[in-house]
Amino acid sequence: MSSEKAIVSSFVEGAPPGEPRSLTGCLPDIKALTISSPNLVNELGPAFQKYNEEQFATVKLPGSSQQVIISSHSALGGGRYYDLESSCSFAFDHTTQKASAVESHVVDGEKADLAKSTLKALSTYVKEHFTNAAYGAYPIENDTKIAIIIVANKYSPSNFWNGRWRSLYIFNPASSSLEGSIKVDVHYYEDGNVRLLTNKSVNMSVTSGTGAGIAREIAAGEKKYQEELNRSFTSLSEGAFKALRRQLPVTRQKIEWDKVASYRLGQDIGGGAARR
Amino acid sequence: MATADPFDSALDLLRRLNPKHTSEHLNNIIAIAPDLTEDLLSSVDQPLTVRRCKQTGRDYLLCDYNRDGDSYRSPWSNQFDPPLDEAGGLGGVGAGGSNEGAGEGAVPGERVRKMEIKANEAFDVYRDLYYEGGVSSVYLWNLDDGFAGVVLLKKASPQNDGASSGVWDSIHVFEASERGRTSNYRLTSTVILSLATKGASLGEVDLSGNMTRQVEQDLPVENDESHIANIGRLVEDMELKMRNLLQEVYFGKAKDVVGDLRSIGSLSEGQRDRETQRELIGSMRR
Repeated sequence: MSSEKAIVSSFVEGAPPGEPRSLTGCLPDIKALTISSPNLVNELGPAFQKYNEEQFATVKLPGSSQQVIISSHSALGGGRYYDLESSCSFAFDHTTQKASAVESHVVDGEKADLAKSTLKALSTYVKEHFTNAAYGAYPIENDTKIAIIIVANKYSPSNFWNGRWRSLYIFNPASSSLEGSIKVDVHYYEDGNVRLLTNKSVNMSVTSGTGAGIAREIAAGEKKYQEELNRSFTSLSEGAFKALRRQLPVTRQKIEWDKVASYRLGQDIGGGAARR
Repeated sequence: MATADPFDSALDLLRRLNPKHTSEHLNNIIAIAPDLTEDLLSSVDQPLTVRRCKQTGRDYLLCDYNRDGDSYRSPWSNQFDPPLDEAGGLGGVGAGGSNEGAGEGAVPGERVRKMEIKANEAFDVYRDLYYEGGVSSVYLWNLDDGFAGVVLLKKASPQNDGASSGVWDSIHVFEASERGRTSNYRLTSTVILSLATKGASLGEVDLSGNMTRQVEQDLPVENDESHIANIGRLVEDMELKMRNLLQEVYFGKAKDVVGDLRSIGSLSEGQRDRETQRELIGSMRR
Protein backbone atom coordinates (compact mmCIF):
# COMPACT_ATOMS: atom_id res chain seq x y z
CA MET A 1 0.00 0.00 0.00
CA SER A 2 1.79 3.10 -1.25
CA SER A 3 0.11 5.68 1.00
CA GLU A 4 1.12 3.65 4.06
CA LYS A 5 4.68 3.62 2.78
CA ALA A 6 4.58 7.38 2.19
CA ILE A 7 3.35 7.97 5.75
CA VAL A 8 5.97 5.72 7.31
CA SER A 9 8.70 7.31 5.15
CA SER A 10 7.64 10.72 6.46
CA PHE A 11 8.13 9.40 10.02
CA VAL A 12 11.67 8.28 9.13
CA GLU A 13 12.51 11.60 7.46
CA GLY A 14 11.12 13.58 10.41
CA ALA A 15 13.34 11.91 13.02
CA PRO A 16 14.95 14.43 15.38
CA PRO A 17 18.73 14.70 15.83
CA GLY A 18 20.16 12.00 18.05
CA GLU A 19 22.37 8.99 18.22
CA PRO A 20 22.14 6.85 15.09
CA ARG A 21 20.11 4.53 17.31
CA SER A 22 17.39 7.14 17.66
CA LEU A 23 16.75 7.14 13.93
CA THR A 24 16.52 3.39 13.78
CA GLY A 25 14.87 3.77 17.19
CA CYS A 26 11.77 4.82 15.26
CA LEU A 27 11.81 1.38 13.68
CA PRO A 28 10.29 -0.54 16.63
CA ASP A 29 7.50 2.08 16.73
CA ILE A 30 6.95 1.79 13.01
CA LYS A 31 7.03 -2.03 13.15
CA ALA A 32 4.47 -2.07 15.95
CA LEU A 33 2.17 0.25 13.99
CA THR A 34 2.42 -1.63 10.69
CA ILE A 35 2.15 -5.16 12.00
CA SER A 36 -0.24 -6.11 9.19
CA SER A 37 2.38 -5.17 6.55
CA PRO A 38 5.57 -6.76 7.89
CA ASN A 39 7.44 -6.18 4.63
CA LEU A 40 6.99 -2.42 4.78
CA VAL A 41 10.06 -1.75 6.90
CA ASN A 42 12.20 -3.47 4.25
CA GLU A 43 11.06 -0.86 1.73
CA LEU A 44 12.24 2.11 3.78
CA GLY A 45 15.77 2.21 2.34
CA PRO A 46 15.09 5.31 0.20
CA ALA A 47 13.64 7.15 3.21
CA PHE A 48 16.71 6.35 5.31
CA GLN A 49 18.97 7.42 2.44
CA LYS A 50 17.12 10.71 2.08
CA TYR A 51 17.36 11.35 5.82
CA ASN A 52 21.08 10.53 6.00
CA GLU A 53 21.98 12.63 2.95
CA GLU A 54 19.88 15.64 4.02
CA GLN A 55 21.01 15.53 7.64
CA PHE A 56 24.67 14.99 6.69
CA ALA A 57 24.96 11.80 8.72
CA THR A 58 28.49 11.17 9.92
CA VAL A 59 30.28 7.85 10.11
CA LYS A 60 33.70 6.68 11.22
CA LEU A 61 35.45 4.54 8.64
CA PRO A 62 36.70 1.16 9.90
CA GLY A 63 40.09 1.68 11.57
CA SER A 64 39.81 5.46 11.61
CA SER A 65 38.75 7.97 14.25
CA GLN A 66 37.92 10.67 11.70
CA GLN A 67 34.24 11.25 10.92
CA VAL A 68 33.23 11.47 7.28
CA ILE A 69 30.00 12.93 5.89
CA ILE A 70 27.15 11.31 3.97
CA SER A 71 25.62 13.73 1.44
CA SER A 72 24.42 13.82 -2.14
CA HIS A 73 27.61 15.79 -2.92
CA SER A 74 29.86 12.96 -1.77
CA ALA A 75 27.73 10.17 -3.29
CA LEU A 76 29.28 7.94 -5.93
CA GLY A 77 26.12 5.93 -6.60
CA GLY A 78 25.46 2.30 -5.76
CA GLY A 79 25.39 3.07 -2.05
CA ARG A 80 28.98 4.30 -2.06
CA TYR A 81 30.35 7.66 -0.85
CA TYR A 82 33.79 9.21 -0.73
CA ASP A 83 35.88 11.46 1.45
CA LEU A 84 38.27 13.83 -0.26
CA GLU A 85 40.60 14.39 2.66
CA SER A 86 41.39 10.73 3.27
CA SER A 87 41.10 9.86 -0.45
CA CYS A 88 38.88 6.87 0.11
CA SER A 89 35.47 5.62 -0.84
CA PHE A 90 33.24 3.32 1.15
CA ALA A 91 29.91 1.51 1.16
CA PHE A 92 27.29 2.92 3.54
CA ASP A 93 24.33 1.02 4.96
CA HIS A 94 21.61 3.64 5.40
CA THR A 95 19.61 1.59 7.89
CA THR A 96 22.39 0.57 10.26
CA GLN A 97 24.48 3.71 9.49
CA LYS A 98 27.66 1.64 9.17
CA ALA A 99 30.49 2.02 6.66
CA SER A 100 32.36 -0.87 5.05
CA ALA A 101 34.40 -1.91 1.99
CA VAL A 102 36.79 1.05 2.09
CA GLU A 103 38.77 1.60 -1.09
CA SER A 104 41.27 4.16 -2.26
CA HIS A 105 39.56 6.98 -4.15
CA VAL A 106 41.71 9.75 -5.57
CA VAL A 107 40.02 12.80 -7.09
CA ASP A 108 42.07 15.04 -9.37
CA GLY A 109 41.20 18.37 -10.92
CA GLU A 110 41.49 22.10 -10.43
CA LYS A 111 38.47 22.34 -8.12
CA ALA A 112 39.57 19.25 -6.23
CA ASP A 113 42.72 21.16 -5.35
CA LEU A 114 40.66 24.18 -4.27
CA ALA A 115 38.45 21.87 -2.19
CA LYS A 116 41.55 20.45 -0.50
CA SER A 117 42.95 23.88 0.36
CA THR A 118 39.50 24.91 1.65
CA LEU A 119 39.49 21.86 3.91
CA LYS A 120 42.84 22.85 5.33
CA ALA A 121 41.69 26.40 6.10
CA LEU A 122 38.34 25.17 7.39
CA SER A 123 39.93 22.76 9.87
CA THR A 124 41.33 25.65 11.94
CA TYR A 125 37.94 27.40 11.99
CA VAL A 126 36.01 24.24 12.85
CA LYS A 127 38.39 23.31 15.69
CA GLU A 128 38.10 26.81 17.16
CA HIS A 129 34.29 26.93 17.17
CA PHE A 130 32.80 23.44 17.22
CA THR A 131 33.38 20.81 19.88
CA ASN A 132 32.13 17.90 17.79
CA ALA A 133 31.95 18.61 14.09
CA ALA A 134 32.72 16.94 10.80
CA TYR A 135 33.42 18.91 7.64
CA GLY A 136 33.96 18.12 4.04
CA ALA A 137 34.54 19.72 0.63
CA TYR A 138 33.84 18.13 -2.72
CA PRO A 139 34.30 19.23 -6.34
CA ILE A 140 30.90 19.08 -8.05
CA GLU A 141 29.27 19.66 -11.45
CA ASN A 142 32.20 18.42 -13.55
CA ASP A 143 34.84 20.17 -11.50
CA THR A 144 33.23 23.61 -11.93
CA LYS A 145 32.13 24.28 -8.33
CA ILE A 146 32.79 23.00 -4.86
CA ALA A 147 30.37 21.96 -2.13
CA ILE A 148 31.41 22.62 1.47
CA ILE A 149 29.66 20.99 4.42
CA ILE A 150 29.98 21.47 8.17
CA VAL A 151 27.88 19.36 10.52
CA ALA A 152 28.05 19.47 14.32
CA ASN A 153 26.13 17.09 16.56
CA LYS A 154 25.82 17.19 20.30
CA TYR A 155 23.77 14.52 22.05
CA SER A 156 22.93 14.67 25.74
CA PRO A 157 20.30 11.97 26.28
CA SER A 158 20.84 12.05 30.06
CA ASN A 159 19.68 15.67 29.97
CA PHE A 160 16.95 14.93 27.41
CA TRP A 161 18.29 17.06 24.58
CA ASN A 162 20.05 16.60 21.26
CA GLY A 163 21.18 19.20 18.77
CA ARG A 164 22.51 19.54 15.25
CA TRP A 165 24.07 22.43 13.34
CA ARG A 166 24.56 21.93 9.64
CA SER A 167 25.80 24.30 6.98
CA LEU A 168 26.09 23.74 3.26
CA TYR A 169 27.81 26.11 0.84
CA ILE A 170 28.26 25.91 -2.91
CA PHE A 171 31.20 28.00 -4.10
CA ASN A 172 31.07 29.07 -7.71
CA PRO A 173 34.51 30.36 -8.84
CA ALA A 174 33.01 31.82 -12.03
CA SER A 175 30.90 34.31 -10.05
CA SER A 176 32.91 34.28 -6.78
CA SER A 177 29.67 33.52 -4.98
CA LEU A 178 29.09 31.39 -1.94
CA GLU A 179 25.49 30.20 -1.64
CA GLY A 180 23.92 27.86 0.81
CA SER A 181 22.14 27.52 4.11
CA ILE A 182 22.69 27.19 7.83
CA LYS A 183 20.19 25.03 9.73
CA VAL A 184 19.93 24.39 13.45
CA ASP A 185 17.81 21.60 14.91
CA VAL A 186 17.43 21.17 18.67
CA HIS A 187 15.19 18.57 20.32
CA TYR A 188 14.32 18.75 24.03
CA TYR A 189 12.15 15.93 25.35
CA GLU A 190 11.91 15.86 29.13
CA ASP A 191 8.18 15.26 29.84
CA GLY A 192 7.43 16.89 26.55
CA ASN A 193 8.62 17.50 23.03
CA VAL A 194 10.15 20.85 22.16
CA ARG A 195 11.90 21.55 18.87
CA LEU A 196 13.92 24.48 17.59
CA LEU A 197 14.20 24.51 13.80
CA THR A 198 15.98 27.29 11.97
CA ASN A 199 16.84 27.88 8.35
CA LYS A 200 18.97 30.73 7.10
CA SER A 201 19.85 30.98 3.44
CA VAL A 202 23.29 32.37 2.73
CA ASN A 203 24.38 34.34 -0.30
CA MET A 204 27.81 35.91 -0.03
CA SER A 205 30.47 37.03 -2.43
CA VAL A 206 34.01 35.91 -1.80
CA THR A 207 36.71 38.49 -2.45
CA SER A 208 39.56 36.02 -2.48
CA GLY A 209 38.65 32.75 -4.15
CA THR A 210 41.30 30.78 -2.30
CA GLY A 211 40.62 28.11 0.29
CA ALA A 212 41.59 30.54 3.04
CA GLY A 213 39.34 33.25 1.58
CA ILE A 214 36.35 30.89 1.42
CA ALA A 215 36.90 29.67 5.00
CA ARG A 216 37.18 33.28 6.21
CA GLU A 217 33.78 34.21 4.66
CA ILE A 218 32.15 31.12 6.16
CA ALA A 219 33.57 31.90 9.62
CA ALA A 220 32.38 35.51 9.51
CA GLY A 221 28.93 34.57 8.18
CA GLU A 222 28.35 31.86 10.80
CA LYS A 223 29.43 34.14 13.64
CA LYS A 224 27.03 36.83 12.44
CA TYR A 225 24.22 34.29 12.12
CA GLN A 226 24.68 32.87 15.61
CA GLU A 227 24.66 36.37 17.12
CA GLU A 228 21.46 37.12 15.20
CA LEU A 229 19.90 33.85 16.38
CA ASN A 230 20.80 34.63 20.00
CA ARG A 231 19.13 38.03 19.67
CA SER A 232 16.00 36.35 18.30
CA PHE A 233 15.66 34.26 21.50
CA THR A 234 15.56 37.48 23.50
CA SER A 235 13.13 39.21 21.18
CA LEU A 236 10.79 36.18 21.08
CA SER A 237 10.86 35.95 24.87
CA GLU A 238 10.23 39.67 25.33
CA GLY A 239 7.79 39.94 22.42
CA ALA A 240 5.60 37.08 21.22
CA PHE A 241 5.91 35.03 24.42
CA LYS A 242 5.03 37.89 26.77
CA ALA A 243 2.12 38.90 24.59
CA LEU A 244 0.55 35.44 25.00
CA ARG A 245 0.33 35.14 28.76
CA ARG A 246 1.33 37.42 31.63
CA GLN A 247 3.38 36.04 34.49
CA LEU A 248 0.96 37.70 36.93
CA PRO A 249 -2.11 39.92 36.44
CA VAL A 250 -1.58 43.68 36.20
CA THR A 251 -2.23 43.90 39.96
CA ARG A 252 0.90 41.71 40.42
CA GLN A 253 -1.14 39.48 42.71
CA LYS A 254 -2.61 36.06 42.26
CA ILE A 255 -6.37 35.75 41.93
CA GLU A 256 -8.55 35.65 45.05
CA TRP A 257 -10.57 32.69 43.92
CA ASP A 258 -13.24 32.85 46.62
CA LYS A 259 -14.10 36.37 45.53
CA VAL A 260 -13.97 35.56 41.84
CA ALA A 261 -16.54 32.81 42.19
CA SER A 262 -18.98 34.78 44.35
CA TYR A 263 -18.58 37.90 42.22
CA ARG A 264 -19.50 36.05 39.08
CA LEU A 265 -22.28 34.12 40.76
CA GLY A 266 -23.92 37.38 41.78
CA GLN A 267 -23.78 38.65 38.20
CA ASP A 268 -24.96 35.54 36.46
CA ILE A 269 -28.02 34.09 38.09
CA GLY A 270 -29.60 32.00 35.44
CA GLY A 271 -26.19 31.00 34.25
CA GLY A 272 -24.17 31.05 31.09
CA ALA A 273 -25.37 34.39 29.74
CA ALA A 274 -22.83 36.67 28.18
CA ARG A 275 -21.62 39.45 30.44
CA ARG A 276 -18.86 41.40 28.83
CA MET B 1 12.01 -9.47 20.75
CA ALA B 2 8.37 -9.06 21.61
CA THR B 3 6.58 -6.42 19.60
CA ALA B 4 5.83 -3.27 21.55
CA ASP B 5 2.29 -2.19 22.24
CA PRO B 6 1.06 -0.18 19.21
CA PHE B 7 -0.51 2.51 21.41
CA ASP B 8 2.72 3.10 23.35
CA SER B 9 4.64 3.07 20.07
CA ALA B 10 2.34 5.72 18.64
CA LEU B 11 2.88 7.97 21.68
CA ASP B 12 6.64 7.37 21.51
CA LEU B 13 6.68 8.33 17.85
CA LEU B 14 4.74 11.52 18.59
CA ARG B 15 7.38 12.47 21.17
CA ARG B 16 10.06 12.25 18.46
CA LEU B 17 8.37 13.94 15.51
CA ASN B 18 8.17 17.72 15.08
CA PRO B 19 5.65 18.93 17.70
CA LYS B 20 4.61 21.75 15.37
CA HIS B 21 2.75 19.18 13.27
CA THR B 22 1.34 16.87 15.96
CA SER B 23 -2.16 16.91 14.45
CA GLU B 24 -0.82 15.89 11.04
CA HIS B 25 1.31 13.09 12.52
CA LEU B 26 -1.66 11.94 14.59
CA ASN B 27 -3.88 11.73 11.50
CA ASN B 28 -1.13 9.78 9.71
CA ILE B 29 -0.79 7.30 12.57
CA ILE B 30 -4.56 6.86 12.65
CA ALA B 31 -4.51 6.22 8.89
CA ILE B 32 -2.08 3.31 9.27
CA ALA B 33 -3.46 2.06 12.60
CA PRO B 34 -7.19 2.88 12.65
CA ASP B 35 -7.79 0.65 15.70
CA LEU B 36 -6.02 3.26 17.81
CA THR B 37 -8.28 6.16 16.74
CA GLU B 38 -10.36 6.59 19.92
CA ASP B 39 -7.49 5.94 22.33
CA LEU B 40 -5.18 8.39 20.57
CA LEU B 41 -7.79 11.14 20.16
CA SER B 42 -8.55 11.02 23.88
CA SER B 43 -4.92 11.00 25.03
CA VAL B 44 -2.94 13.15 22.60
CA ASP B 45 -3.25 16.88 23.18
CA GLN B 46 -3.63 18.93 20.04
CA PRO B 47 -3.95 22.68 19.50
CA LEU B 48 -7.50 23.72 20.32
CA THR B 49 -10.06 24.88 17.78
CA VAL B 50 -12.29 27.90 18.44
CA ARG B 51 -16.01 27.91 17.59
CA ARG B 52 -18.69 30.55 18.14
CA CYS B 53 -21.72 29.54 20.19
CA LYS B 54 -24.85 30.05 18.05
CA GLN B 55 -27.05 30.70 21.10
CA THR B 56 -24.86 33.20 22.99
CA GLY B 57 -22.44 34.51 20.35
CA ARG B 58 -19.50 33.71 22.64
CA ASP B 59 -16.42 31.77 21.53
CA TYR B 60 -15.65 28.37 23.04
CA LEU B 61 -12.98 25.72 22.59
CA LEU B 62 -13.36 22.28 21.08
CA CYS B 63 -11.75 19.15 22.49
CA ASP B 64 -12.54 15.48 22.89
CA TYR B 65 -14.32 16.15 26.20
CA ASN B 66 -17.16 18.22 24.73
CA ARG B 67 -17.46 16.14 21.57
CA ASP B 68 -20.27 13.75 20.66
CA GLY B 69 -19.69 12.30 17.21
CA ASP B 70 -19.28 15.37 15.02
CA SER B 71 -21.03 17.73 17.44
CA TYR B 72 -19.53 19.89 20.18
CA ARG B 73 -21.22 21.26 23.28
CA SER B 74 -20.94 24.97 24.09
CA PRO B 75 -20.20 25.64 27.77
CA TRP B 76 -22.15 28.90 27.52
CA SER B 77 -25.45 27.49 26.20
CA ASN B 78 -25.01 23.77 27.05
CA GLN B 79 -26.21 23.08 23.47
CA PHE B 80 -24.53 20.83 20.91
CA ASP B 81 -23.59 22.18 17.51
CA PRO B 82 -24.76 20.70 15.22
CA PRO B 83 -27.67 19.57 17.43
CA LEU B 84 -27.72 15.89 18.43
CA ASP B 85 -30.51 13.51 17.40
CA GLU B 86 -33.40 13.57 19.87
CA ALA B 87 -32.84 9.94 20.89
CA GLY B 88 -29.29 10.55 22.04
CA GLY B 89 -29.97 14.08 23.21
CA LEU B 90 -29.27 15.83 26.48
CA GLY B 91 -29.06 13.89 29.69
CA GLY B 92 -26.21 11.59 28.73
CA VAL B 93 -25.88 10.73 32.39
CA GLY B 94 -28.42 9.05 34.67
CA ALA B 95 -29.26 10.54 38.04
CA GLY B 96 -26.12 10.29 40.16
CA GLY B 97 -24.57 7.98 37.64
CA SER B 98 -21.18 8.34 36.11
CA ASN B 99 -20.24 9.21 32.62
CA GLU B 100 -16.66 8.72 31.54
CA GLY B 101 -17.31 11.47 29.11
CA ALA B 102 -14.83 11.71 26.33
CA GLY B 103 -16.52 11.52 22.99
CA GLU B 104 -19.65 10.15 24.64
CA GLY B 105 -21.72 13.29 24.56
CA ALA B 106 -20.53 14.14 28.02
CA VAL B 107 -23.34 16.10 29.56
CA PRO B 108 -22.90 16.61 33.29
CA GLY B 109 -25.71 16.04 35.77
CA GLU B 110 -27.58 19.01 37.25
CA ARG B 111 -25.23 19.69 40.20
CA VAL B 112 -22.09 19.35 38.12
CA ARG B 113 -23.52 21.51 35.34
CA LYS B 114 -24.14 24.24 37.93
CA MET B 115 -20.48 24.02 38.92
CA GLU B 116 -19.51 24.04 35.25
CA ILE B 117 -21.37 27.32 34.73
CA LYS B 118 -19.58 28.91 37.71
CA ALA B 119 -16.22 27.49 36.65
CA ASN B 120 -16.61 28.97 33.17
CA GLU B 121 -17.34 32.38 34.62
CA ALA B 122 -14.40 32.13 37.07
CA PHE B 123 -11.94 31.06 34.37
CA ASP B 124 -13.26 33.79 32.10
CA VAL B 125 -12.00 36.25 34.73
CA TYR B 126 -8.72 34.31 34.96
CA ARG B 127 -8.33 34.41 31.16
CA ASP B 128 -8.92 38.14 31.08
CA LEU B 129 -6.40 38.85 33.87
CA TYR B 130 -3.60 36.61 32.57
CA TYR B 131 -4.14 36.46 28.80
CA GLU B 132 -5.81 39.84 28.17
CA GLY B 133 -7.61 38.21 25.28
CA GLY B 134 -7.95 34.67 24.02
CA VAL B 135 -10.69 32.14 24.72
CA SER B 136 -11.41 29.90 27.72
CA SER B 137 -13.74 26.94 28.25
CA VAL B 138 -14.34 24.55 31.14
CA TYR B 139 -16.09 21.19 30.71
CA LEU B 140 -17.08 18.97 33.64
CA TRP B 141 -18.46 15.46 33.81
CA ASN B 142 -19.65 13.14 36.58
CA LEU B 143 -17.58 10.42 38.20
CA ASP B 144 -18.77 7.78 40.67
CA ASP B 145 -16.99 9.44 43.62
CA GLY B 146 -16.97 13.04 42.42
CA PHE B 147 -16.43 14.71 39.12
CA ALA B 148 -13.79 15.45 36.53
CA GLY B 149 -13.17 18.21 34.09
CA VAL B 150 -10.95 20.06 31.71
CA VAL B 151 -9.94 23.72 31.76
CA LEU B 152 -8.93 25.02 28.33
CA LEU B 153 -7.25 28.32 27.42
CA LYS B 154 -6.08 29.53 24.04
CA LYS B 155 -4.41 32.71 22.87
CA ALA B 156 -2.80 33.60 19.57
CA SER B 157 -0.64 36.69 19.16
CA PRO B 158 0.40 38.18 15.88
CA GLN B 159 3.07 40.78 16.61
CA ASN B 160 2.88 44.35 15.35
CA ASP B 161 6.01 43.88 13.27
CA GLY B 162 4.29 41.02 11.44
CA ALA B 163 7.48 38.94 11.63
CA SER B 164 6.78 37.12 14.89
CA SER B 165 3.79 35.06 15.92
CA GLY B 166 2.81 32.81 18.77
CA VAL B 167 0.05 30.46 19.88
CA TRP B 168 -0.51 29.21 23.43
CA ASP B 169 -2.87 26.31 24.25
CA SER B 170 -3.40 25.14 27.85
CA ILE B 171 -5.17 21.86 28.55
CA HIS B 172 -5.72 21.05 32.24
CA VAL B 173 -7.47 17.73 32.87
CA PHE B 174 -8.43 16.97 36.46
CA GLU B 175 -10.30 14.48 38.61
CA ALA B 176 -11.85 15.47 41.92
CA SER B 177 -12.54 12.55 44.28
CA GLU B 178 -14.78 13.71 47.12
CA ARG B 179 -13.90 12.33 50.55
CA GLY B 180 -16.19 14.10 53.00
CA ARG B 181 -14.68 17.44 54.01
CA THR B 182 -11.70 17.08 51.73
CA SER B 183 -11.32 16.35 48.10
CA ASN B 184 -8.43 14.73 46.26
CA TYR B 185 -7.48 16.52 43.05
CA ARG B 186 -5.32 15.00 40.36
CA LEU B 187 -4.31 17.46 37.67
CA THR B 188 -2.51 16.76 34.39
CA SER B 189 -1.56 19.91 32.53
CA THR B 190 -0.25 20.30 29.02
CA VAL B 191 0.81 23.55 27.43
CA ILE B 192 1.32 23.62 23.67
CA LEU B 193 3.39 26.65 22.73
CA SER B 194 4.35 27.56 19.19
CA LEU B 195 6.52 30.58 18.36
CA ALA B 196 7.94 31.71 15.05
CA THR B 197 9.91 34.65 13.76
CA LYS B 198 11.75 35.59 10.60
CA GLY B 199 13.89 38.31 9.13
CA ALA B 200 16.33 39.06 6.34
CA SER B 201 19.48 38.44 8.38
CA LEU B 202 17.88 35.88 10.68
CA GLY B 203 16.13 33.64 8.19
CA GLU B 204 13.37 31.52 9.73
CA VAL B 205 13.18 30.42 13.35
CA ASP B 206 10.52 28.09 14.70
CA LEU B 207 10.29 27.15 18.37
CA SER B 208 7.40 24.77 18.99
CA GLY B 209 6.51 22.14 21.46
CA ASN B 210 4.45 20.83 24.31
CA MET B 211 5.17 20.01 27.93
CA THR B 212 3.10 18.03 30.40
CA ARG B 213 3.24 18.12 34.18
CA GLN B 214 1.14 16.47 36.90
CA VAL B 215 0.21 17.35 40.45
CA GLU B 216 -1.96 15.69 43.10
CA GLN B 217 -3.31 17.41 46.20
CA ASP B 218 -5.89 16.97 48.98
CA LEU B 219 -7.73 20.19 49.77
CA PRO B 220 -10.58 21.07 52.15
CA VAL B 221 -14.03 21.49 50.62
CA GLU B 222 -16.95 23.31 52.24
CA ASN B 223 -19.27 23.49 49.30
CA ASP B 224 -19.28 23.37 45.52
CA GLU B 225 -17.86 26.88 45.31
CA SER B 226 -14.74 25.80 47.17
CA HIS B 227 -14.22 23.12 44.48
CA ILE B 228 -13.98 25.89 41.89
CA ALA B 229 -11.62 27.94 44.08
CA ASN B 230 -9.45 24.85 44.67
CA ILE B 231 -9.29 24.01 40.96
CA GLY B 232 -8.63 27.65 40.20
CA ARG B 233 -5.63 27.78 42.54
CA LEU B 234 -4.27 24.47 41.26
CA VAL B 235 -4.49 25.61 37.64
CA GLU B 236 -3.12 29.07 38.43
CA ASP B 237 -0.09 27.63 40.29
CA MET B 238 0.51 25.04 37.59
CA GLU B 239 0.39 27.61 34.78
CA LEU B 240 2.81 29.89 36.61
CA LYS B 241 5.20 26.97 37.07
CA MET B 242 4.84 25.86 33.46
CA ARG B 243 5.24 29.36 32.08
CA ASN B 244 8.55 29.68 33.93
CA LEU B 245 9.60 26.24 32.72
CA LEU B 246 8.70 27.04 29.12
CA GLN B 247 10.62 30.29 29.31
CA GLU B 248 13.65 28.40 30.60
CA VAL B 249 13.47 25.66 27.96
CA TYR B 250 12.47 27.73 24.94
CA PHE B 251 14.83 30.64 25.45
CA GLY B 252 17.48 29.43 27.90
CA LYS B 253 17.98 25.77 27.08
CA ALA B 254 17.60 26.11 23.31
CA LYS B 255 20.13 28.94 23.22
CA ASP B 256 22.55 26.98 25.43
CA VAL B 257 22.36 23.95 23.14
CA VAL B 258 23.11 26.14 20.12
CA GLY B 259 26.07 27.51 22.09
CA ASP B 260 27.18 23.94 22.85
CA LEU B 261 27.05 23.08 19.16
CA ARG B 262 28.95 26.17 18.08
CA SER B 263 30.90 28.52 20.29
CA ILE B 264 30.79 32.20 19.31
CA GLY B 265 34.14 32.78 20.99
CA SER B 266 37.28 30.81 20.18
CA LEU B 267 37.40 27.47 22.00
CA SER B 268 41.17 27.57 22.53
CA GLU B 269 41.00 31.07 24.02
CA GLY B 270 38.15 29.94 26.27
CA GLN B 271 40.31 27.00 27.31
CA ARG B 272 43.28 29.31 28.03
CA ASP B 273 41.02 31.63 30.08
CA ARG B 274 39.78 28.71 32.15
CA GLU B 275 43.33 27.50 32.77
CA THR B 276 44.45 30.99 33.82
CA GLN B 277 41.50 31.17 36.18
CA ARG B 278 42.33 27.76 37.66
CA GLU B 279 45.93 28.81 38.20
CA LEU B 280 44.76 32.02 39.83
CA ILE B 281 42.43 30.17 42.20
CA GLY B 282 45.20 27.66 42.88
CA SER B 283 47.71 30.40 43.76
CA MET B 284 45.21 32.09 46.08
CA ARG B 285 44.72 28.84 47.98
CA ARG B 286 48.44 28.49 48.57
